[in-house]
Amino acid sequence: MAYFILKRLVQSVFVMIAVAFLAFSLFRFVGDPITQMTGVETAIEDQERLREELGLNDPFVVQFYRFTGDMLQGDFGYSYRTRQSVGEMIASRIPATLELGTVALLISLIVGIPTGVYTALRPRGFVTQSILLTTLVGVSIPTFVIGIMLIFLFGVQLGWLPTFGRGGTVQVGGWESSLFTIDGWRALLLPAITLGVYQLTLTMRLVRAEMMEVLRSDYIRFGMARGVPMRSLYFRHALSNTMVPVITIIGLQFGGVIAFSIVTESVFQWPGMGLLFLESIRFVDIPVMGVYLVVIAFFFVLVNLIVDLLYVAIDPRLRIKDES
Amino acid sequence: MSFKVLKRSALIGSALLVSAAAASAESFKWASNTDPQTMDPHAVNSAPVLSFLNNIYEGLVRRNQGMAIEGSLAESWEPLEGEDGWRFYLRQGVTFQDGSAFNAEDVMFSYQRASNEAADVRSWFAPVKEVRVVDDYTVDFVTNAPNPLFPDSIANFMILDKGWAEANGAELPARDAENYATMNVNGTGPFTLASRDPGVKTVLVPNANWWGEVEHNVTEATFTPIGNAATGLAALLSGEIDFIQPIPLQDVAQVESRDGFKVLEGEETRVIMFGFGHEHEELLYSTDVTGTNPFQDVRVRMAAAHAIDIASIDRVLFRGKIDGASQLVPAGISGYSEANSTRPAYDPEKAKALLAEAGYPNGFSFGLKCPNDRYINDEALCRAAASMFAAVGLNAELSTGPVRDYWPQLRADEFDMYLLGWSPGTFDMEHPIRFLMSTPNSEKKLGSWNFGGYSNARVDELLPGIQREVDPAARQAMVDEVVAITQEEVAYIPLYTQPLIWAAKDNVDLTQRADNFFMLRWVTVN
Repeated sequence: MAYFILKRLVQSVFVMIAVAFLAFSLFRFVGDPITQMTGVETAIEDQERLREELGLNDPFVVQFYRFTGDMLQGDFGYSYRTRQSVGEMIASRIPATLELGTVALLISLIVGIPTGVYTALRPRGFVTQSILLTTLVGVSIPTFVIGIMLIFLFGVQLGWLPTFGRGGTVQVGGWESSLFTIDGWRALLLPAITLGVYQLTLTMRLVRAEMMEVLRSDYIRFGMARGVPMRSLYFRHALSNTMVPVITIIGLQFGGVIAFSIVTESVFQWPGMGLLFLESIRFVDIPVMGVYLVVIAFFFVLVNLIVDLLYVAIDPRLRIKDES
Repeated sequence: MSFKVLKRSALIGSALLVSAAAASAESFKWASNTDPQTMDPHAVNSAPVLSFLNNIYEGLVRRNQGMAIEGSLAESWEPLEGEDGWRFYLRQGVTFQDGSAFNAEDVMFSYQRASNEAADVRSWFAPVKEVRVVDDYTVDFVTNAPNPLFPDSIANFMILDKGWAEANGAELPARDAENYATMNVNGTGPFTLASRDPGVKTVLVPNANWWGEVEHNVTEATFTPIGNAATGLAALLSGEIDFIQPIPLQDVAQVESRDGFKVLEGEETRVIMFGFGHEHEELLYSTDVTGTNPFQDVRVRMAAAHAIDIASIDRVLFRGKIDGASQLVPAGISGYSEANSTRPAYDPEKAKALLAEAGYPNGFSFGLKCPNDRYINDEALCRAAASMFAAVGLNAELSTGPVRDYWPQLRADEFDMYLLGWSPGTFDMEHPIRFLMSTPNSEKKLGSWNFGGYSNARVDELLPGIQREVDPAARQAMVDEVVAITQEEVAYIPLYTQPLIWAAKDNVDLTQRADNFFMLRWVTVN
């Protein structure tokens, strides 16, 4: 098992280097950092000197080699724009993004699984049809529109919830968390719902489809024939078998949730990694963009690894195979 | 906190209740679309940084509400006798926020720091030959030539404390890694930094020992950058912030229709214009003209100018909030040429006649480049202009892109015609003449934004005179001549002055300055 995890982590380094390479080959088309860094009155020769200092005149291969070499040594470089250490900038934004992603995922599971089960058990009911229709609408509207609609309804019209930012945060061992204050939760609610809507729909429909599939299988019918109580049949026998593919998909989606929180973070001015990335695109802050993409690649690899491990934990058959 | 205050005042009496309510009203929250990326006043020459830091640091001179220059850390100044330059008499008894005294050494140190290669603001000091400390409260700035505008040009040159900078290793602006001055401040200004979380939140509190007369009633000011315009508007309308700059034009009606909010409208000093590839020998993006550049013919440029209908652009795109521009600075800026204040009339027939006269009776096609995230409604403006051009036979192939990619394209000469906005940094006509109308010359630092390479020997000849002439009438005569020449030659097509639109709660009084700077010391929360 340890060997398996180690192997995957080593593989992740190659994934990250590949992502860095792709990213770097695109950066040249993003724009010119120098004109974004200097004022209009700055002399052309001062701009050129700055360009030389930052190594922007070097060939692509040299720039890429320098970036990956520094990164492998743990040096993430400095932002062109703020001159801060990129490692620290990203690290300080990770808690916001992870908390948002996790709460969005939890919302999607807590709401998605029960509604999925319900709609599977009563496939033709009026409530089921309404739920299916509503979520279909929800998933068809772009994230930023949902976000803006929620902001104007709950923030501006009703005035119940804040419209932007993280609200009250507390430091928990260097981790800036919004999970320990009422204000923090109030600020978290709308962005988490916005980010979670797509996941929620996906979870619900997945659970529903799998559940309906499982309910048709022989062992459920035998269970019914034997007189096993329906409640136990649905929630113990059927649901746990439903969960294997659901967890795989949802787990893999979590990487996407983290990466695509960019839109939600922008709409809610949520100070996470995604917002930082958007800002750095605007100002062609290449070091920040590079490190962000590599960190996101790492998250993807990590999430996949965790999903693989969870798989083993949930599905007994895999464990037996492993032991034999 | 406020609950406690309320409870206590309920015990003591209602008089206290009133004062407690007033006290809580003085905390002020505002937002803008860009975070000042550094707290170092010499590191970056950009409006968001300089505007923000003018609340914390101060210069020798400053601009008042009407943009006029007045004394700040210098109480008075006068031209040097016997040589070119200015003598500044410094204000006595001023202390920095850490308590150390301000004197001429700090000015000297700040000059050296700001004119260093590591400072982006060093171009301000290009005319300076030498700086001399005469005594503790007198400093001489010696210039290469007579420079009547020098005091105006250093309004944003902010003074740091020498001892503080040296003790914290911030002798120079950060070049690679950040330094102490990137995140910490020690100015003489009316406000000081209470906390800073870059890109998230910055809190300012009043400087109790400020030398000036306090006009504001702010006890704590919180700044949040909000990049998304809709989010910023929602934050204002939900009452979470008191003021935001700017808001999109299309949201003005939305804000005005609600009780308790107001829109502040003014004009920025930025003039939007079209520029030509004067020195291009042929069109780059034409489908029907090869081997020649019709825009080198003044009649074609004049035809383009007559094709633009500013009144329609104003009505349709800007909801009546813009005024047409006749020259590269708006009225009110020093050096504005009253004698040349009419812009080419909208006259499509005349435009067609001019084109026919120039040998293009059926017009021709060309490439028009525009940014899509730099000026208000820039892309829409270019679409409208392209259809107006097309009506007289000038078929513009429009291509738009983000500004981060736009300047490099213009520098690489990849345009036939382009859009540009220009705000004169010194608030004088000399600024656009130097940057946009002079023949490009990197050695003399002239024409660095004259992408099309417009060149006129007489304009080049007049510029040094305009820079040096002390007599206002003689100077204005030279400026008038330049404006007349460039209008006659249609060096650019000035379009309009960009509007400035801020929004605030009704109970907030503040000053909207034409340079888009927001000064906390003029804020009153009622």
